[in-house]
Amino acid sequence: MANIAIQRIKREFKEVVKSEEVAKCNIRVEPKNDNFTELRGEIQGPPETPYEGGMYILDIKIPETYPFNPPKVQFVTKIWHPNISSVTGAICLDILKDQWAAAMTLRTVLLSLQALLAAAEPDDPQDAVVAKQYKENLEMFNTTARHWANVYAGATKREVECDSKIQQLKNMGFEEHKARVALSTYNWNVERAMEHILT
Amino acid sequence: MSQEMKSQCSDEYHSSDEDMDEDINNYYEDMGDDNDVNEIQEDDPESFEFELLKVEDVERLLNESVETLCKAINVAPSLAKLLLHMQKWLSTDVIARYRQDSSKLLRDSRLAPTNVVQVCNSPFTTCPVCLQRCPAEIMSGLTCGHRFCNDCWQQHFAVQIQTAVSTGIECMFKDCCVLVPEDFVLQIVTNPKIRDKYQEFCFRDYVNSHPELRFCPGPNCSTVIRATERKAKRVVCKECNTCFCFRCGIDYHAPTDCDTIKKWLTKCADDSETANYISAHTKDCPKCHVCIEKNGGCNHMQCSKCKHDFCWMCLGDWKTHGSEYYECSRYKENPNIANESAHAQAREALKKYLFYFERWENHAKSLQLEEQTLDNIKKRIEEKVMNNSGTWIDWQYLLDAAFLLKKCRYTLQYTYPYAYYLDKGPRKSLFEYQQAQLEAEVENLSWKVERAEITDRGDLENQMDIAEKRRLTLVRDFLEL
Repeated sequence: MANIAIQRIKREFKEVVKSEEVAKCNIRVEPKNDNFTELRGEIQGPPETPYEGGMYILDIKIPETYPFNPPKVQFVTKIWHPNISSVTGAICLDILKDQWAAAMTLRTVLLSLQALLAAAEPDDPQDAVVAKQYKENLEMFNTTARHWANVYAGATKREVECDSKIQQLKNMGFEEHKARVALSTYNWNVERAMEHILT
Repeated sequence: MSQEMKSQCSDEYHSSDEDMDEDINNYYEDMGDDNDVNEIQEDDPESFEFELLKVEDVERLLNESVETLCKAINVAPSLAKLLLHMQKWLSTDVIARYRQDSSKLLRDSRLAPTNVVQVCNSPFTTCPVCLQRCPAEIMSGLTCGHRFCNDCWQQHFAVQIQTAVSTGIECMFKDCCVLVPEDFVLQIVTNPKIRDKYQEFCFRDYVNSHPELRFCPGPNCSTVIRATERKAKRVVCKECNTCFCFRCGIDYHAPTDCDTIKKWLTKCADDSETANYISAHTKDCPKCHVCIEKNGGCNHMQCSKCKHDFCWMCLGDWKTHGSEYYECSRYKENPNIANESAHAQAREALKKYLFYFERWENHAKSLQLEEQTLDNIKKRIEEKVMNNSGTWIDWQYLLDAAFLLKKCRYTLQYTYPYAYYLDKGPRKSLFEYQQAQLEAEVENLSWKVERAEITDRGDLENQMDIAEKRRLTLVRDFLEL
């Protein structure tokens, strides 16, 4: 990796570690390997959102040309959000693409992602299914997002009805995650979800 | 053919043998242009004034604009260039707006920031990108006041230029959109390869933002076309013979307009996929021949139209098959009326599209084939001239006929997308009438051109006249500008 990239990352580590957000346990970042090309980030689900209480793990890859090109960031923790793929965890966020500026840092990226969780942009979606639900049935979206946060990100608030419907499909022999995706996609309509899995 | 051209080629006729070969080639190459370029006729709806520029000509033209602006408003040349680029080279407009409110114009053109940062005067500062403490003399910045070390600038430029960004390179600060002018980049970038690339990309951007200029879309052609009006008119590049529309840059498409031809070409690209899908996933019912898509795994098919039961695999009568497929019969019990009509509609739409597409494709193919005819004519004329049977001037009408045929068939090809999108009504009837007339005359002309040597010259020239008149009538009536 280019000299400047390593130097930057090392200095950024100090910055993130020192920042007050870390003190409040809101964001964290740690290296996955010695040469700092792969990092693991963590962001806390912002309060008063369906993601509240959840902890989201991010996969961060630092390109050779960092900081002149943005880091590649992806959600490892599964999440139900219009701008994040529920399948791959890929993120649609302008600062990770053409709006990146060399003076931005990992700290600004993590804080921007946290802000994205608090304010989705359904008109610029990454996951069309989620975005459609967000726009057409916000309450249903919030329930689904809370349920995913509870199951995958460790948020404490349980969605009892969702859990029981998933159990219902599990009892019929369907795999849990598959059942969850189908139910989430079809607004928790058990019959349509089943039809979807079967076809 | 102009008088001047005639005298010119008869002069060349007397030159030596070697020269003559070259002359013949030059002469033929010029022919195409001669037929349809720059010959302005008062009532010709397709006439258009334009000029062909080389890269140096364009650079001179742009520099002249920059110089004029520098003199008028006293700004640095590289700033003036970027200012003109951002304002689409409207010099007079830029001058007027600059005099009215210079800072607003600079802000709107992203050459000045919305709010300026105080520049720190201490001898050492931290570069916000590499986070190193650097002496002030190796730090630099733009009008926004954000300062970075020159190493970081250099890498920033290298990364941007690698992704073909040039005039659009911005300051490195977060949310700062101030653009970097040419001289700033060239001061910092030392690598000659990157410098060349940068200048090449800038030039491309300048031409693209200039309303009077357009690159010739021909492969590996660097010619730039200049015309004062950005109209959907025919332009022919003399360097590579590419014929295109000045407004949208794709192949010339009269009488169809720019939006329609784009829609048609996209449709053709998409629908060839659809057509492929249909052929791959559908079969026709063996009894009533309606098109059926297989959307399930069951091979027991029932035609939704005539209710004929058959086997998908062998297309034979289902009754002859064993009862082991019986569990699949639920498809049979659920005939979907709504889907059927939608399907019939889709089938009809496809049929309509294929009708136009086939003709469009067919004329495109004919154009290619007639290109060979043209080559043959050239060869035969050469033979004749060498054998002393007449001069070029005597045989020139054959070439004229071939070129005219090409021109007429080209227009004919582009009448099909136009007709496809035309709503039913008297206008469409008139269009289709004229289209049919043109088509008949084009085919007559094609017949006679292919048999040119046994066709009477007067007869051929008469046919040329008729075909061109039909073409002009159609274009005049339907070309909307």
